[in-house]
Amino acid sequence: MTKTLTFKVIMCLLVPLLLSGCLGGGTEINDLEIVVGMGVDKDKDTGKILLTAQIVREGEIGSNSGNGGGQNAKAFWNVTATGDTIFDAIREMTHKTGNRLFVSHNHVVIYGYNIAEEGLQEHIDFFLRSHEMRPTAFILIAECDVSAVLDAKPETEELPAMNIAKLLKSHGYTSHFIEVNLKDFISCLMSPTTSPVAPIVEVTPGEESEDIYISGMAIFKNDKMVGKLNKEETRGLLWVKGKIKSGVLLVPSPGKQGKIALEILEAKTKVTPKMENGKIVMDVNIKVDTSLAEQATIENMTTLPGFEKMQKIQEEVIKHEIMAAFEKSKELKADIFGFGEMLHKKYSSKWNAIKDNWDDIYPDIVLNIDVKAEIKKADLLVKAPVPG
Amino acid sequence: MTNIEKGRISGPQLLFLVSGFVQGSVMLIDFAVGMAEKQTWMVILAGLLVSIPFVISYAALAKRFPGMNVIQINDIIYGRILGKLLSIYYIFFLFITLSFNIRDVGELYTIFLMPNTPFIFFLAVFTATCAYAVSRGIEVLARISYLFVITGIFVSISTTILLVDKMDFSNFLPLFELPFIRIFQGIHIMVSIPFGETIVFLMIIGYTNKDGNVIKNTLSGLLLGAFSLFIVAVRNTAVLGITQTIWTAPSFQSTRLIDIGTVLTRMDFLVGIAQTVLIFFKCCLFFYALLLAVSEILGLKSYMPLVLPLAGIEVIIAATVFQSPLDHAEITQNAGIIYSLPLMLVIPPLTLLIAKIRRLPESKGGKVT
Repeated sequence: MTKTLTFKVIMCLLVPLLLSGCLGGGTEINDLEIVVGMGVDKDKDTGKILLTAQIVREGEIGSNSGNGGGQNAKAFWNVTATGDTIFDAIREMTHKTGNRLFVSHNHVVIYGYNIAEEGLQEHIDFFLRSHEMRPTAFILIAECDVSAVLDAKPETEELPAMNIAKLLKSHGYTSHFIEVNLKDFISCLMSPTTSPVAPIVEVTPGEESEDIYISGMAIFKNDKMVGKLNKEETRGLLWVKGKIKSGVLLVPSPGKQGKIALEILEAKTKVTPKMENGKIVMDVNIKVDTSLAEQATIENMTTLPGFEKMQKIQEEVIKHEIMAAFEKSKELKADIFGFGEMLHKKYSSKWNAIKDNWDDIYPDIVLNIDVKAEIKKADLLVKAPVPG
Repeated sequence: MTNIEKGRISGPQLLFLVSGFVQGSVMLIDFAVGMAEKQTWMVILAGLLVSIPFVISYAALAKRFPGMNVIQINDIIYGRILGKLLSIYYIFFLFITLSFNIRDVGELYTIFLMPNTPFIFFLAVFTATCAYAVSRGIEVLARISYLFVITGIFVSISTTILLVDKMDFSNFLPLFELPFIRIFQGIHIMVSIPFGETIVFLMIIGYTNKDGNVIKNTLSGLLLGAFSLFIVAVRNTAVLGITQTIWTAPSFQSTRLIDIGTVLTRMDFLVGIAQTVLIFFKCCLFFYALLLAVSEILGLKSYMPLVLPLAGIEVIIAATVFQSPLDHAEITQNAGIIYSLPLMLVIPPLTLLIAKIRRLPESKGGKVT
């Protein structure tokens, strides 16, 4: 009895020693540089990769508001390094940081405009291959210098990279852009026809500091950036993709005197590809529910005829947005909607005949848009407050 | 004839042993993903259908010779010399496959979980644990099999539920696209890896209780295991789509995408736990069968003296047999499924047939148990 008891006690004492980790692999938190965002840009002088990594300065987090002492004390440190490849540059960085970079908490990967135009294929492999990286990190294209984006200190957040991730997650309020993570991006990249898109981020000068602003989406042809979608065009894309969450639909009032803002409550999209005598028709059916959020006009729109009129105009506005996106994609011959994949899935046998010259076929696609808009409520007012 | 193993397992325990064993190959279905891409789910079902008759033949064979293992059966059916040769083939298969599976664990850990720890360390610790488990006999493994099977199924189902919002079922379309030869090779991989490897149970089924209902339980175990593999394959294809072919381990990547309200993230540890536990279980059964077979052929009274030497040899083979995971995948996808084929698909049904024709074991030594 006592012998087994002693054995058990010894085992219990040994377990914490043996299970607490391996020799050589132990890493303390203060020996790591936690990276929250990364930027890849082209060094203008040497043509090499210029990598910027945003490292958290643990000591500064949350201390700014305390004694207000260091106004310039940033909670982050942007380290840059050049290299021939990304991994090369990351290891080069240890010359400045002294510690290994820990990229497991990386939230955003920002590519410079120049590099996006030359092609991302070479520069995306590391972010997928590295075992610490997550495929859920967001991908963005910077309109200006990448380091400027990562330098712009936000007003409410302490870390610019986290701020960008927060901005991206708020896409549902306007549906003017969409978050794209690494996995989504390479899904489109690997598809033979679909063109990837990625949000564009830029820095706008504010009063005291600079603001980060997401201005639209970049269109890629294969892995090269070829064009941009503005906000309306992006929403056109999202209508077809069925990724609209909410947003403001501005419609001119029937009497042309002002504008009416409708809030999108729910949108459902169904796209049916059709192939008729060699002609490709895409039936886009959209059902959208909105509510009257604001009317900036003197006419009282909270009436049944008013609702009906607004629904009509609203349908036109949505169609217009979709067509704008489609025209843009036709111009660039970039299948951002994924129509090619839809045809591939539905007409797999006929697809083989057309897949090789998809770029030439794409502009001839006929888009058949059918929007059914319903205004579901008018919120707190049944009549607009009109001067008596 | 003396029996090395004195323990007996019950019918339901056999079911869970088989099921846990089949699920232990959950990492190995990635070999089929490279071949069958989005048709992996189809390949699993087809492989299962092809395997069922063979697995029934294993169970029927073991049922015909209660209390005996395949080494003893070979001696009875094929005589001493041919029987021994076939047994050595069987032992070779167990030996090599066990080292490959141990290597899988090392690769899983060095790539995904602890990249800075030496490879050999995982192999040694893992094999030592297996050695400890098998030295306790089949009854212990059988008792713990419930827990392992439930862990495996719980993880595959829970991760699937957490990923529902990331799934796109149009990823399966078009249903038939790949050339038949790739599907065929995919089916071949499924038949010879997760399902065909149940040939190990020729060493184990014999120790089931008389009322064990061997065939029914083996088959149910196979179906339960295949169900779990099927869920994993469907989840990976639905979530990862076209990208599933580029990852080393699609299961890890798909669970890395779990993001429920930014709180429930990084759930890949669940897959790490489940795969470790299941591969451990599979390796234990392999190791157990290997020990029993080797000591049977050497005429030992107990397999205990062999545990540590064989474990050491297995670790060394596992550490040196391949240069990299690529090597491993290449050999398994192309060569491994060929050399094991006669053992899985030809010899057991043939043995059963000969036993039926010669009315064995009733005529000779049938009462010896």
